[in-house]
Amino acid sequence: MKKRILAAAVALLLLFAGCWWNGRREIVLRVGAYSGSYWGTDTGGSYQILEDAIARFEAEHPNVRVEYTSGIGTSEYSEWLAEQVLKGQEPDVCFVFPEDFHLLASSGVLMELDGLMSHDESFDKTMYYPACLESGKWDDGQYALPYESTPTMMFVNKTLLERFDIEMPENDWTWNDFYAICEKISAQSGTQADNWSHGYYDYNWQNALYSNGTSLFTADGSFCTLGEAKVQEAVRFYKRLRALNPGYIITAKDFDLGRVAFRPFLFSEYKVYQPYPWRVKKYSNFEWDFIEMPAGPEGGNVSEIQTMLLGITGRSRHKELAWEFLKLLSGDETIQKELSIWSQGISPVQRVAEDEEILADLFEDIPGENTIDRTVIHEIMSTAVSVPRFSRYEQAESMAERAVNAALESDQALDSQLLTAQREINIFLNQ
Amino acid sequence: MKNEKQLRELQKAMTVVNLTVLLYYSIICTATTFRLCAARGAYDFLYQVSLLPERPWEMPLRSLALFAALCGFMWRKNHHNLKKLSHRLAFCFAEMLLCLGVIASCHFYYSGVALMVLADLVHYIQHSKYRMCFMAVMMLCFAFGKQEILSPYLPSIPFFNYLDYYDQSVRGFFSGGESLLVSVNILLFVLFMVLLFTGQKEENIRIRTLNAQLNYTNRQLNDAYAQLKENAAQIQQMTAVQERNRLAREIHDTLGHTLTGIIMSADACQVIMDVAPDEAKKRIGIIGDTAREGLKDVRRSIKALRPDALEQHDLEGALSKLVENFCITTNVAVEYRQEAGSLSFAPDEEDAVYRIVQESMTNAVRHGGADTITVLLKRTEQRLTIRVTDNGKGCEIPTEGFGLSHMKERLKMLHGTLCFENRSDGERGFEVTAELPLRGK
Repeated sequence: MKKRILAAAVALLLLFAGCWWNGRREIVLRVGAYSGSYWGTDTGGSYQILEDAIARFEAEHPNVRVEYTSGIGTSEYSEWLAEQVLKGQEPDVCFVFPEDFHLLASSGVLMELDGLMSHDESFDKTMYYPACLESGKWDDGQYALPYESTPTMMFVNKTLLERFDIEMPENDWTWNDFYAICEKISAQSGTQADNWSHGYYDYNWQNALYSNGTSLFTADGSFCTLGEAKVQEAVRFYKRLRALNPGYIITAKDFDLGRVAFRPFLFSEYKVYQPYPWRVKKYSNFEWDFIEMPAGPEGGNVSEIQTMLLGITGRSRHKELAWEFLKLLSGDETIQKELSIWSQGISPVQRVAEDEEILADLFEDIPGENTIDRTVIHEIMSTAVSVPRFSRYEQAESMAERAVNAALESDQALDSQLLTAQREINIFLNQ
Repeated sequence: MKNEKQLRELQKAMTVVNLTVLLYYSIICTATTFRLCAARGAYDFLYQVSLLPERPWEMPLRSLALFAALCGFMWRKNHHNLKKLSHRLAFCFAEMLLCLGVIASCHFYYSGVALMVLADLVHYIQHSKYRMCFMAVMMLCFAFGKQEILSPYLPSIPFFNYLDYYDQSVRGFFSGGESLLVSVNILLFVLFMVLLFTGQKEENIRIRTLNAQLNYTNRQLNDAYAQLKENAAQIQQMTAVQERNRLAREIHDTLGHTLTGIIMSADACQVIMDVAPDEAKKRIGIIGDTAREGLKDVRRSIKALRPDALEQHDLEGALSKLVENFCITTNVAVEYRQEAGSLSFAPDEEDAVYRIVQESMTNAVRHGGADTITVLLKRTEQRLTIRVTDNGKGCEIPTEGFGLSHMKERLKMLHGTLCFENRSDGERGFEVTAELPLRGK
């Protein structure tokens, strides 16, 4: 009997010791991060925001250490993350590239955050722009939160427009305005003494369809809308636009030399190269600005938005802490404000993106009059669409691209060709 | 069974083959994962499978641990002779669950373990109905426990996705090895079943032969028994005849002789009474002497009929011996309480006491099926009470058989009484009480 009591006492003591040790043990929270800029622009101090967030988090949680592996470039990050998943060593919190989100969410690498979101009273998801939040949704569940976004906007060569005596279009311009300017440039370009000029570069039918109030695929990726009226209208508009440049393939070099008036570009380019000192590095031989995308008859001045996301891995052993850290990176205004200094994206947090002080800092180094202000940012970010990504997106999109190109080259009726292609793509999507 | 050893060897071989197959799957999955990472193919693999793979060490660890547990369990079950059917079935059920665990733990890549367990269960369970049940379940496990069939319900990474990493020749080598091992397992299972059922058939034939021999011996035994009974009856009859003759001889030699003498002397007395009264008196005296001699002879003859025990011991010793022998021969616990002081009575009284105790104990076992008997001898002045109590089934309406009526007659001759009934203290059992007035020696 005595022996039993002694054994029970020892077991109890060990249990208490274990609990005590576990309570005092340092918790390591691992973060998957990349170096450089996802948006392809030059950047410095890629880990600064993360470092600041870690310092703050560690100060608030004394027994937690946050770790990340540095030196993983954006081109290697997806592979690195997949390797960690395969080895069972994935970080607790990780950055998720827009193109990887669907794979990571649908395969179960990322955990659904709805439970954590609904239990956390301090968290308010309405602080984000809807399109940014939508980027982290899959199968009606929120699997990631936005970190930073970049909308596609229209780059305008102001010098070229001036040369052609064309007024700088307003932000609420339409396809017709866009077409009229391109047509005018094309008509007069041959008469210019110095060189040939062109209306646009890199604008395609997909840019047109977002601004015509539609999208190529439904959100769940089960249906392609290629044959629908709005898409057909967008393709027809692009066909008209394309006819303005017969027999000449415009290249990026033409654009860099200032021979092109319009080019859809990520907002990050604007943020890097418009202010000094980077201003002198690129596009320095002409004046340029960004405006919203031209609106189609059925839509508005809508842009596609790309969002860098943050997620928690499903096998993380410190989900609560991971959520706290994720919330800090994604939703804390102080951390998000640092994006304006260290990154080229726009904060998905409305109050930060539209903060007067931050915008004033940005425009401070931009000479002359600029077309972008708080209202424009609000409009772009509020109306932007997030392109749905799903497991067969790449293949389905290239099928659509091939079909549209074939239809543009062919003399046959556009609608029947697009409908046939739509049927084929839908069969592929539902296989 | 004759081929038991071979069956055990086959089971061992199946265990080794199954372990090898599990190791094969574990090594391929784990090694390929690391090779994929080293070759920068992780993202493509993840994209291809669109499922979260397990940590590389999880499947080997889980499946091998469960397999070890299964083997340990099988060994324990087969080396512990469980008597109760319910215990045996519970063990089989647990073994079946462990088997399912092993199959599930390797993502249903391999279900051949079900054959190994099926062989073991079929060998272990003798009850044909349960055997069929377990057979059906394990066959279903083997047939449907496949990743290809269950993947819509239990998504897991198909094994071929791992093999796809390798080039054609290596893939062919791995697939060939896998097929070979799976086939060997099936072959061993078939061999096991053939050996098992052949052995059982031989066993059945042997049992049938033995049964026939037993029946023949039984019949012979019955015949001998009948013969013995007949002989015993004859011997009993002959003994009775001999005893009658002996009694007749005894009566003739003693009583006949004496009575003849008495009659003749009495007749002579009658004749000479008036003539020679002195002579007559003398004769009467002789008659008296002869009669006394005759009585002595009769007593001697009766003494010759007494129980053997009473011949060799006094009543005290004879009763102790009787109880002791009874305990030994019947295995019944007898409590003998002698509270009557000295047991020295007249021979007929001693006979009666001895016979009553003997008969009552015999009845308690024969009719009551008792296993505990209490014999109490008590004396109140010149009255002896004998009480024999048992814990047998008793009797609602006791019918007076030969034994009881014989006791009653004995007691009646000695002016005693006999009372028999179910126990008066409320306990189960029967109670015989004899009251005997003592004359003294």
